[in-house]
Formats: sequence, C-alpha cells, structure tokens
Amino acid sequence: MARRAHLKAGFRRALLAEVRQIGSRPGLMFMLAPFPLLLFALLAAVFHLGLPRDLPIAVVDQDRSTLSRQMVRMVDATPEVAVAREVATLGEGRQLLVSGEAYAVVLIPARTERDVLSGRRPEVVLFYNNQYMTPGSLVARAVGGTLGTVAAGISIEARVARGADVESATQAAAPIPVRQSALFNPSLEYVQFLLAAVMPTVLQIFIGASAALSFARDRQGVAGLGRSLRLGGTLFKTVAGKLAPYTLAYLIVLWGADALLFGLMGVRFGGSLTFHAAYGLLFVLASQMLGAAAALVARDTVSALAAVGVITGPAFGFTGITFPRLSMNDFSAIWADLLPVTHYLQLRTDNILRGAPLDISMPAVAWLAGLALAYGGVALLLLWRHGRAKPEAAR
Amino acid sequence: MIAAFFREVAAALAAIWADKGARSTMLGATLFFSVFFPQPYLAEVVRDMPVAVIDQDGSTLSRELIRRIDAADAVAVTRYAPDMPSARALFLKREVYGIVVVPPRFERDLLAGRSAPIAAFSDGGYFLLNSVMSSALTNAARSLGAEVQVGRLTATGVDAAAAMAVVEPLRVTAVPLFNPTGGYASFVLPAVFVLILQQTLLMGIGNLKAGRRPDGALATFADAVVYVGLYALWAGVVLVLLPWAYNLPYIGHIAVMYAVALPFLAAVTAMGFAVARLIPTREGVIFFLVVLGMPLFFLSGVSWPAEAMPAPLHAIAFAIPSTTAVPALVRVNQMGADLRSVEGTILIQFALCLAYSLLAVLAGRLRRLAPGARFGSHSV
Repeated sequence: MARRAHLKAGFRRALLAEVRQIGSRPGLMFMLAPFPLLLFALLAAVFHLGLPRDLPIAVVDQDRSTLSRQMVRMVDATPEVAVAREVATLGEGRQLLVSGEAYAVVLIPARTERDVLSGRRPEVVLFYNNQYMTPGSLVARAVGGTLGTVAAGISIEARVARGADVESATQAAAPIPVRQSALFNPSLEYVQFLLAAVMPTVLQIFIGASAALSFARDRQGVAGLGRSLRLGGTLFKTVAGKLAPYTLAYLIVLWGADALLFGLMGVRFGGSLTFHAAYGLLFVLASQMLGAAAALVARDTVSALAAVGVITGPAFGFTGITFPRLSMNDFSAIWADLLPVTHYLQLRTDNILRGAPLDISMPAVAWLAGLALAYGGVALLLLWRHGRAKPEAAR
Repeated sequence: MIAAFFREVAAALAAIWADKGARSTMLGATLFFSVFFPQPYLAEVVRDMPVAVIDQDGSTLSRELIRRIDAADAVAVTRYAPDMPSARALFLKREVYGIVVVPPRFERDLLAGRSAPIAAFSDGGYFLLNSVMSSALTNAARSLGAEVQVGRLTATGVDAAAAMAVVEPLRVTAVPLFNPTGGYASFVLPAVFVLILQQTLLMGIGNLKAGRRPDGALATFADAVVYVGLYALWAGVVLVLLPWAYNLPYIGHIAVMYAVALPFLAAVTAMGFAVARLIPTREGVIFFLVVLGMPLFFLSGVSWPAEAMPAPLHAIAFAIPSTTAVPALVRVNQMGADLRSVEGTILIQFALCLAYSLLAVLAGRLRRLAPGARFGSHSV
C-alpha cells in the first residue's frame, strides 16, 4: 500500500491503477480474453464443416425414362447436393422450396428422352432458391454442371453416331473449357477466409468497447478524469498507462486466434510474420483510440458503449469481404475507410494470402496509422479539456 | 384490476420515454440501423468488375470472345496485359479483380474442332467476385463455342436445326426464384432487419431493467405487453415498409407475418427480462448484445446453410428466438410461405417464450432471496 502511494505519477502508476480496476471486476476480466476466445470457438464451429455438402433438393421427374432416371442419379451423386424428395408436380416442389425443405427443384418434363432422340432439344429446368443466395447459388452451379455433363454426353453420342471418333467428339462437345483457378494460394478455402475475416471484426467491438468503458468509467467516477491525469502525470502517459493492459490482452487474443487458425486448423500462412505482428499492433491501437474518443465524446458510459456498438457492430458489411467495396456507394466507401478493421483485413489478405510486396501494402498501413493518430488526437484533446474542466466545475 | 393494468401500461410507456437509453434503442436505434445498415449493399449487384485480359492469340475469334466477356453486365475488360507478371501486378494493386488468359492457337484449335481452353484467375476468398466472373466467362465461352460448332456442322451440309440438336441436344435452364436478380441487399437485408428487431428490443429491455429490482407480476406483464405492442408496430415498419422503400422482393401476407412475428417478439421480450436479471449491469447487457449480433446472424442459416453447421451447435442455437424466426419471416415475406409452412417455428417461439419467462421468474426470485446482491454499480 505504502509503496503504491509513493509511486511517482507516470505510466506505471496509471497502468497499475487500471490493472487494479480490472482485477476488481470479474465481468471485465471475462471480456478481456475468455469471451472473445469463446466467440471465436463458436464461429469456428459454425464454419467447421467447410463448404456445404448434400444440400437437399427435390426432383419432379415427369418423364420416367432411362435418360431421366440417369439424370436424377447423376444429380444425386453430385457432392454438393442430395435428392431428398421426388414429387409428382411442380406445385409440390414449390411447397418444399417455400417451407425450406429443399433449395432447388429439377423439372424433367414428360417426353424428354423421346424429344432428345428425335432432335427436338427438350428443356430441363432447374428452379433454385436465390433468396438464400449462398446455398442457392452453390446448388445452382453444382446441379447446372451435372446436367451440362449429361447434355454433353448425349452430344458426344450423337457425334459418334455421325461417324466421329470418341476423342474428337469429346473435344467438340466442350469447345472452350474455362479452367478457373485461384491466383494466390490455390488451397485457399472460402470458409477459412470468411472465418479469418469475421474474427477481427468481432474483436474490433471488444477492443473499442473496453477502451470506451475504461475512460467513461473514470469520467463518471466521483474524482473524474482529473484523478486519472494526476496518476499518469502527463496526458500521453495517462492514456498509454490506462490502455496498455487492454492492448496486451487483445494482442494475445488476436495472435492466439491466428495461432489456432494457422496452427491447429492448418490454414497456410504465406507472408511475413513480422509485418503481420506490426499491422496487428496498429489495428489494436487504432481500435482502442476509436473507443477512447467515443467515450470522451459521449455523455455517459451507456452512450459511450452504444456509440462504439453503432460504429463497430455493423462494420462487417463495410469491409468488402462479402459484398465488394468496388460496388459500394460513396457514403459506404468513406465510412469503410474510417474503420480500422477494413484496412487490417486488406493487409491480412495482401500479406498472408497473396504474399504481396510491402510497397503495395503501404497505403493501408498509412491508413491504419493515420486512424490511430486521428482518433488518438481527438481522445487526447478531449481528455485535456475534461481533465481541466472537472476540478474547476467542482469548485 | 383492469384499471390497474392500464395504469401500469401507461407507466411502462412513460418509463421508455423517460429513460434516455431505452428511448434511443427502442425508438431511435431501430430506425437508424435500418437506414445505416443497408448502405454498403444498395447497389444490389456487382457491375463492371474490372478484369485484365492477356490475349496471346490476337485473332478474330479471341477478340470476339473478349468482346462477349466485356458485354456481360457484371464484368468489364479494363486492361490488356502483355504477360502474367504484369497482370499479376495489376491484380495485387487491386486495379483488376480477375485475369483471363486466351492462349496462342486459340482460333486455330477452335476452328479445327479441337478443345481450345482458356484460363481464368481470381481470388478464391471473394465469393461474390469469383462467381460473378465465373458466370460471365462460362456464358461467353459457351455461346461462342456453340456458334463455332454449329458453323462447322452446317459447313459440312447439315441443316441448322439438326446441327443445333447435335451441339446442344438438351437445353438446361436455371431459373432463380424469389430473388431473381441475385441482389445482395435483397438477400441480406430481410434477415438483418429481423435481427435488428431482436437486438434493439433486448437492448431496450436491458436498459430499463438490468440492475434494477424486479417489479411485481402485474407491472412486469404490463411492461411485456407494451414492448410486444411497440415492436409489433416496428415489425410493420421494418418488415413491410422498408422492403417497399428499398425495393426488395416482398410477396408475403401481413397476417401470416404477424402470426410469426408476435410469438417471436413475445419470446424475445421474455428473453430480455431473463437476460436483464442475469446480467447485473446495463453496460454488461448492451455489450453482450452488440458482440453477439454477428454470430447470431450466421447461426440463422440464411447466409450460411444450417446443413453445413455441426448439428449439436444448430440445436443449441434454437434457444435464441432469431435462429428460427429469421428464416421463417424471410420465407413468409420474401418467398410467400403460408401459415402451414411456418407452424413449427411458431410453436418453437411459444415454447421459448414460456421457457424464458420461467427463467426470468427464477432469476427474479434469486435476486430477492439475496438482498446483499449488488444491484449494479451504476444506476444513474
């Protein structure tokens, strides 16, 4: 106790005071590491099985021919889907779509086989649920591909019947095949990419909220921010001392989640580890400054937290991971640039997945550093004003 | 009794208005989020995604293929690169989002009836950009390939109809239902709006009730009626009016929507009371709910299919009202589902309402039994 009282004002004193505050609040301690890691585990579990397999679809086979049965068998054998139901009418199929029991309905009209044989080019129709776009488009692509294979098989037979050899008939059936591949990291899985992007977005909420809570609490306390400033000595040391415990905790969480991702889950890491650590630190600092600034702008703790929630909660949509940034309106483009996580995710993609040279990443690094400085500047300015105003008002 | 109930109802309404936090979450936030959240998605579809082309053939047919790729709405050929390293550099700088390579001898192989493959490169992580490019390329390659084949056959004296029957003996047509243009806002927003209802309602109740001594049964019931009533109005605004304002697909019946929405709101209200009694501070409740928003969205199965989740996880997620209510309301409003298709969800919502009410009562008892318990560090 006595030693503490004699500790000179400065970074260490502000830091120890903050650590004591955290120690006396189990809720806050839970929020520092266990809760974000728990959420990471939850999200990892959601995406754990990878791309969906055996998505249920329905078939309306009005032809009941050898060809139609072969089509149904081949569609069922497609890994992404499974024929869960065979129904008699399109109306029943539609009911299955609407009730969520099937993602698509394949309609094979009567006389399909006969029309194929007589060269009348019948039509097989795939109705898919595009309201559920992720599974819907997966199913459409998979089933469309399989039915295309069936059609190509018939085309090859027709050519062979006209006297072509099998090899040239096969080539002629798919004249311009498109060989599509991922430019970087061919083993890259969409699912891992999504998980790796969701986690920092959730963490940005934690980081911002913890900084906001720390300052809002001091501000609402009896002694006000003046006391925090006396502990720290200078403005800068106060902010550094107060935020350092959170910086450390969330860096551990951020890198811990990465360790799980790249270690345990075996995602490939293709970039520079030092650089990864550097922009990770910048990301945590910028998010903290955002939270601190929000706390000092807002009137009380609940509003501060709400402000951080409003800024960081919907951030994912703005990062361009799901809907690309190149198609966003001006407001969203500007707002996205003001969020630390946007630049952090871009740096992650550039460094880890694309192994891009450093000069390509410099603009995003500059953005992150700029955001940290700008939000930090606002926080320092407001801290200086509040710290000064409070004792005067009390007198 | 009835007069007392109405007095409590009036008191509940006054309490929402008097509490700044509750007022801003239950009255302001719903509207704010429903304007703010849709912003990134309003373009609905990707248009003119920039693509670089490496044309190593430089022939009439390779140019025709590139013209057809460029003609797709979603893709625009913006750069011609001499080789892969320079195309790759454009890609890394994010000046283009895809690369198409037309190899040498493309035209010669195609005209000779040999396979003339083209190569496409993109970033596997960006699902939407990937599938946009994939379909633009496939369509261009398929149409050009078929035309050349038909041309080759007719040149040998086959009539056009017979040639078509050889090249494309079976037509495969894919018909996207409910969201025919594949709009991203149309896909995400109807689900997000339901989640916004749930989260702001929970936060509002947290603001009003967390860290406070539980009220009597009549007052609590009156509160619940007021919250459900208020949010029934919001449900109309957010689930009917907003889709109209944003031009999202909407083919539902309002009556069926309310048949799901009212039990859902009742379940959320009961959950709100339980959470407010279990988490002792307002800050705690708000924080918990903000952080949980995104995981809950993924758990609802609209953006990520429930079939691709581990079954035990999805079973646990049934305890959250939104997990079943989000897909049910999307099916009703955007896909025109009738009452029969969502009756399972309605039953689940009633069960959740009952379970959370019991939990709230138990949590309240526990509070009263422990008079020394801290009622929140903060009650200003």
